[in-house]
Amino acid sequence: MADRIIFACMLVLAGVYFWATAQIPSLDLGDPLGPKAFPQLLGVGLLISAGMLLAEMIKKHKAAPQPQAVETADPAQRPHYWVVVAVAGWTALYVLVFEPLGYVLATIIYLLALTAFFNRGRWLMNVLTCVLFSAGSYYAFSELLGVTLARGILPF
Amino acid sequence: MDTFTHILNGFTVAMQPINLWYTFVGVLMGTIIGVLPGIGPSAGIALLIPITYGMDPTSALIMLAGIYYGAKYGGSTTAILIRTPGEAASVMTSIDGYEMARKGRAGAALAVSAIGSFIAGTIGVIGLTLFALPLTSMALKFGPAEYFTLMLFAMTAVSTLTGNSPAKGVFATILGLMIATIGIDLQSGQARFTMGVAEFQDGVGFVVVVVGLFAMAEVFRGLEDLYRGTAPEAMKITGKLWLTREEWKRSIGPIWRGGIIGFVIGVLPGAGGTIASIMSYTTEKRISKHPEEFGKGAIEGVAGPESANNSDTAGALVPLLTLGVPGGGATAVMLGAFIMYGVQPGPLLFQNRPDLVWGLINSMYVGNVMLVILNLPLIGLFVRLLYIPSGILYPLIVAISAIGAYAINGSVVDLWLILLFGVVGYVFDKVDIPVAPLVLALVLGGIMEQSFRQAMTISGGDLKIFYGSTITVTLLVMSAISVLLPIIIPRLKAMRDKGDGS
Repeated sequence: MADRIIFACMLVLAGVYFWATAQIPSLDLGDPLGPKAFPQLLGVGLLISAGMLLAEMIKKHKAAPQPQAVETADPAQRPHYWVVVAVAGWTALYVLVFEPLGYVLATIIYLLALTAFFNRGRWLMNVLTCVLFSAGSYYAFSELLGVTLARGILPF
Repeated sequence: MDTFTHILNGFTVAMQPINLWYTFVGVLMGTIIGVLPGIGPSAGIALLIPITYGMDPTSALIMLAGIYYGAKYGGSTTAILIRTPGEAASVMTSIDGYEMARKGRAGAALAVSAIGSFIAGTIGVIGLTLFALPLTSMALKFGPAEYFTLMLFAMTAVSTLTGNSPAKGVFATILGLMIATIGIDLQSGQARFTMGVAEFQDGVGFVVVVVGLFAMAEVFRGLEDLYRGTAPEAMKITGKLWLTREEWKRSIGPIWRGGIIGFVIGVLPGAGGTIASIMSYTTEKRISKHPEEFGKGAIEGVAGPESANNSDTAGALVPLLTLGVPGGGATAVMLGAFIMYGVQPGPLLFQNRPDLVWGLINSMYVGNVMLVILNLPLIGLFVRLLYIPSGILYPLIVAISAIGAYAINGSVVDLWLILLFGVVGYVFDKVDIPVAPLVLALVLGGIMEQSFRQAMTISGGDLKIFYGSTITVTLLVMSAISVLLPIIIPRLKAMRDKGDGS
């Protein structure tokens, strides 16, 4: 099933890439190939890999005609996609407020929520780590390495 | 005689106090990265590149190389104590190493990994010293067409040898090359595939891609495991941190063989440390007088693979330094680092900057000595890292990745990119698409297109230039073989099995 989706994605991507390549304006000045030739080659390469995947899928289908319906029956192996979706969503929020709030505040809030959930119950340890890490790394970067991370609304 | 002077001179570079310090920092961080789950050598090197910006290139590269080979030492610790390879190449160690720990011989398992790593790591550096020059003199004859076919060979080998499906490996490679085409085309000045985002005009930085694909994706996987409750517990170190005479006698052979296997596999593109350690393991099992002990705590099963995956790193630096073409994911990140410091590895580097090349190579002798000290008497300190709760460690890795990505350009776009590539890396892992080929292709993509177009300009647009010389033809044939091997080998096996059965 996953392979079919990958196969479809490959075809869509190849189509989009060919289309985008065609949009590159070309001014042929002494360069016999121009900026489009190599991308076109890559588009063809993508189609070839799609063909290879199709061949692999057909071979697998012949080898094991009946689909394994019970493959994720083991509860220890079952994926918990919503955990990943939630963490990714929370990280997206972090990126959104990174510059407006500033590195230190955004990072403290981001880390506090994650540690409160994944390292439950150990409040003191979590709060100390989050605050010390955020403030310490900000200080180390701005003072010692001269790299200013986003300052945001804090005055320092 | 000239070369000999250069090599000796390299030792004076490596022994300068500042470079000794950076060697130490590198191998120390490498050990920590190796012990900790979550950040592997590729992401570790990538995260440090922005921080080391502005440093002297020789010192910076010495440090980054230290992380690369140091991580292999640390990886075995996690494999032995929690049965999870801290680094992919330690996967074989987690079989017999963990069994030894369960039998109360964790100390011996850790000791043999450190000693084996040291001996084999040194064998690898000696090999690197000996093989570097013959290869550079050959590489000096390379033109754009030769380079193009060489990169083609490296990519086909990596894409068909990593992972289970050659098709998915090729897909990952093409995807990496496509990402590399984003940005302003250097020859025509034309913007390509920037999608209207101003930040994309300089291209998508490989640092954010590597950090996303390796570090962020690992955070997603780790937090998922944690939630599911399958995260492993660490064992205590038991037994003396040394070998009995009997154990020593059983280990020395596997260490030597592993060291040589690892170096040879390392030089070849594609295979890498994991395959080297698997090959060493199967070799030891085949020639052992008591193969039934393997999988139940045979010390040979730790000594061989650990040695192999350490000499592999030195072997993998051979094509990177002499040809400028890496053969795997981590060395591709190293190449990216070289380029960011304005240093182009390859045969000319040996002529123009012998101090840098030999300083780097010779620092590895020193680094291996430091590593054996860090990983034997001081191993207890690093084991404590395993007791950091994962629920704190993984969130911190995100924050560290964010710092690293933001520090490059001070742009939020790079933060979005690490998140995007983190999700991509997580999904790719679930559907079995390897990410190492993508990274290799991304780093090599620009140079590859460049040499393709230069070759075509030389030939006036005639493709014949790609099969016009012995070198290009050989490389093309080797590329074809690496594509066909995964198809042919199962067939041959099936035929042989049929022959046996009848």
